[in-house]
Amino acid sequence: MTGTGEAVGFWILGTLMVVAALGLVFVRKAVHAALCMAFVMINLGVLYVMEQAEFLGIVQIFVYTGAVMMLFLFVLMLVGIDSSDSIVETIKGQRVAGYVLGLGLAVVMFLALGSITLPATKGLEAVNNPADGGGNISGVAFLVFGKYVWAFELTSALLITAAIGAMVLAHRQRLTEKLSQREWSQRRVRENTYVAGLPAPGVYARHNAVDTPALLPDGTPSELSVSRVLVSRDQVATPITFHAAEQAIEAEIEDGSAR
Amino acid sequence: MIPALGAQYLGAQLPGVDLVPATFNYAALSPILVVLGVATVGVLVEAFVPLRSRYAAQVGLTLAGLVAAFLLLVLLAVNHQTATAGLKVLGGAVLGSVIIDGPALFLQGTILVFAILGVLTMAERLGGVGADAFTPMGSATPGSGQEALALRAGSMTSEVFPLTLFAVAGMMLFPSAGDLLTMFISLEVLSLPLYLLTGLARRRRLISQEASLKYFLLGAFSSAFFLFGTALLYGYSGSVYLPDIAAAIPQGGSELNGLLVPGVFLVAVGLLFKVGAVPFHSWIPDVYQGAPTPVTGFMAAATKLAAFGAILRVVYVGIESARWQWSPAIAVVAILTMVVGAVLSVTQTDVKRLLAYSSIAHAGFILVGVLAFDRTGVSGVMFYLVSYGLTTIAAFAIVGLVRADGAEATHLSQWAGLGRRHPWTAGTFAFLLLAFAGIPLTSGFTAKFAVFEPALRSGATGTIMVVVGLLASAVTVFVYVRIIVLMYFTDSQNDAVAVVTPSVMTTIAITFGAAMTLVLGVWPTELLQLSASASQFLR
Repeated sequence: MTGTGEAVGFWILGTLMVVAALGLVFVRKAVHAALCMAFVMINLGVLYVMEQAEFLGIVQIFVYTGAVMMLFLFVLMLVGIDSSDSIVETIKGQRVAGYVLGLGLAVVMFLALGSITLPATKGLEAVNNPADGGGNISGVAFLVFGKYVWAFELTSALLITAAIGAMVLAHRQRLTEKLSQREWSQRRVRENTYVAGLPAPGVYARHNAVDTPALLPDGTPSELSVSRVLVSRDQVATPITFHAAEQAIEAEIEDGSAR
Repeated sequence: MIPALGAQYLGAQLPGVDLVPATFNYAALSPILVVLGVATVGVLVEAFVPLRSRYAAQVGLTLAGLVAAFLLLVLLAVNHQTATAGLKVLGGAVLGSVIIDGPALFLQGTILVFAILGVLTMAERLGGVGADAFTPMGSATPGSGQEALALRAGSMTSEVFPLTLFAVAGMMLFPSAGDLLTMFISLEVLSLPLYLLTGLARRRRLISQEASLKYFLLGAFSSAFFLFGTALLYGYSGSVYLPDIAAAIPQGGSELNGLLVPGVFLVAVGLLFKVGAVPFHSWIPDVYQGAPTPVTGFMAAATKLAAFGAILRVVYVGIESARWQWSPAIAVVAILTMVVGAVLSVTQTDVKRLLAYSSIAHAGFILVGVLAFDRTGVSGVMFYLVSYGLTTIAAFAIVGLVRADGAEATHLSQWAGLGRRHPWTAGTFAFLLLAFAGIPLTSGFTAKFAVFEPALRSGATGTIMVVVGLLASAVTVFVYVRIIVLMYFTDSQNDAVAVVTPSVMTTIAITFGAAMTLVLGVWPTELLQLSASASQFLR
């Protein structure tokens, strides 16, 4: 039977989880979606712990919140934090049709699944009885290494494929010899271009990040000083804002010296 | 809660319980294990064998592994038809994750044959260093200097061969999975390598990468449906094992009945996506067009076979007794599939897209056989899958040989007048098209007869489906005859299009496919008998 504390915990966490899961679907920004997902995963772990499945709960938090969420955040980092879904319809009326069909499916599922009545629960004592299954840790072990061992082992094929896939699609084998620092410097001198190296970015009083271009003596920003990846992504900070601030400071200094 | 636990009381370290290990019949599993093992060795070859000898090592290893698996299957596994890789239940039977029975062995053997033919076409070099259909470096930006450099340095993506083997292992397991969980994992094992292979075409890389991404996203989406359905069926019956689900159904009228039909439909979505049945077909044309042509041929033949094998097992072992609740909807899907596939193939101007729509129509024809609910239906479906697969691999292999300026000439207008300049190639292709259309004396006719005849006997719905199927076939005949007319009776000033001379490997694949198309049309008795004797599922 469900205890009172368990029921109260379930209804509070369950409601929050459903809200967060809906948020995962409906929010526009990828970061918010990731946070919603982390919230759902952590609460799922809490629910497991409440059901006396401490091992499963901790593993849930470790694996999903720890590992899988980190991967999501890495991907977010790569695609840029500002990215959001394009909401332009390529097929006319697609969104309306999607809403109608989705709503219809939801109604059908709700009616079908709402018509069931669950059988009486066994209760945690019966499930975790050491004489009958040995608690949830050995219960998981029996399933993974006994009943479902084939499925468990088969997953290794999936992991190998994923590893090869990542290598094939993302790993670039070096085809030309890597130039050492000495060779680079020799080449610069030989070709007589940027003999002293490219200008360093962000030489301002207010800002020293790599996305801020250096200013040339005449005050124009030098694109050479920032990574060309940032330039092509349009993620280079304009020095104009710093310009204004700097002029204000200069004006103050002039005022001060005039006084 | 956990069956067979506590049955043995050996007083081990844990209080009162000991782990009951799963039983494995290694003889029955040997073909699958060999394919998986050789795939893993292929990964090591990729890591340790120098670039010069890698192509020969990979192709040799892959073909040797597939042939060895096939020999093990016909010599060893056939004598060990059993459920395996699971726990013994009361009474000594095994509740198996893998079920090696007649249909499983028949389909596994066919997949191995398809895989051998597929690898032969994939390994075609046409005088280059690596396989001609695959890009020298998958990670290089299309059209970049890096790509040209990789080409000059003689790199190649020989990883495609171990990847193919992983896909083959997944395909072999998919129709033999005894529970929905194993079925789900083998679905992923077969899909993941195919997503990768799709994105590795040498030419028209952007289209290839787009196809790969589409296939991956839609495939992941449909897998989620399959998993959701599995969860509902688990809730319904308390087990993911198909025999347990079958046993739970006749008790009917239980308070959990609301879980059954949604569960069945969601599982069906996942399976019908893989065969390309109509509301779930949208990936087929793009993926078939974008993937390297030999991969398209292999995928079209083997994925369809594996997925239909899984459908047969789920339907006939798991959910047959509830068929009045779900089969009308699947019949509608079958009719839609035949009609949409046939009608849309009329408007196509690209050979690969046309064959893709034709494969959708064929999926509809096969579904008609599945819905016969009869042993002859099972054998008819299996016969159809064999004959369609052999014809498809040969047809796509020929598409890969018709070239203009080194790239494949897939636009239909480029095929004009091909029959005059290359009578042998065009003649073979025309023959294969007639087999797709189901003209007598080709395997297509025997196959259509084998699936339509049980459907006719099954009742009114079956008759309606057969009538629609015949009308759809008539439409497709028009499409195929149009290509034949184009090849033989249209003049073309376009001399740039020519058939390149393939190596002996591709020639073997095309010859075998075309010869079997003829043999199964003229003298199908042997294979029909084999498929009939292998049509009994182990429950």
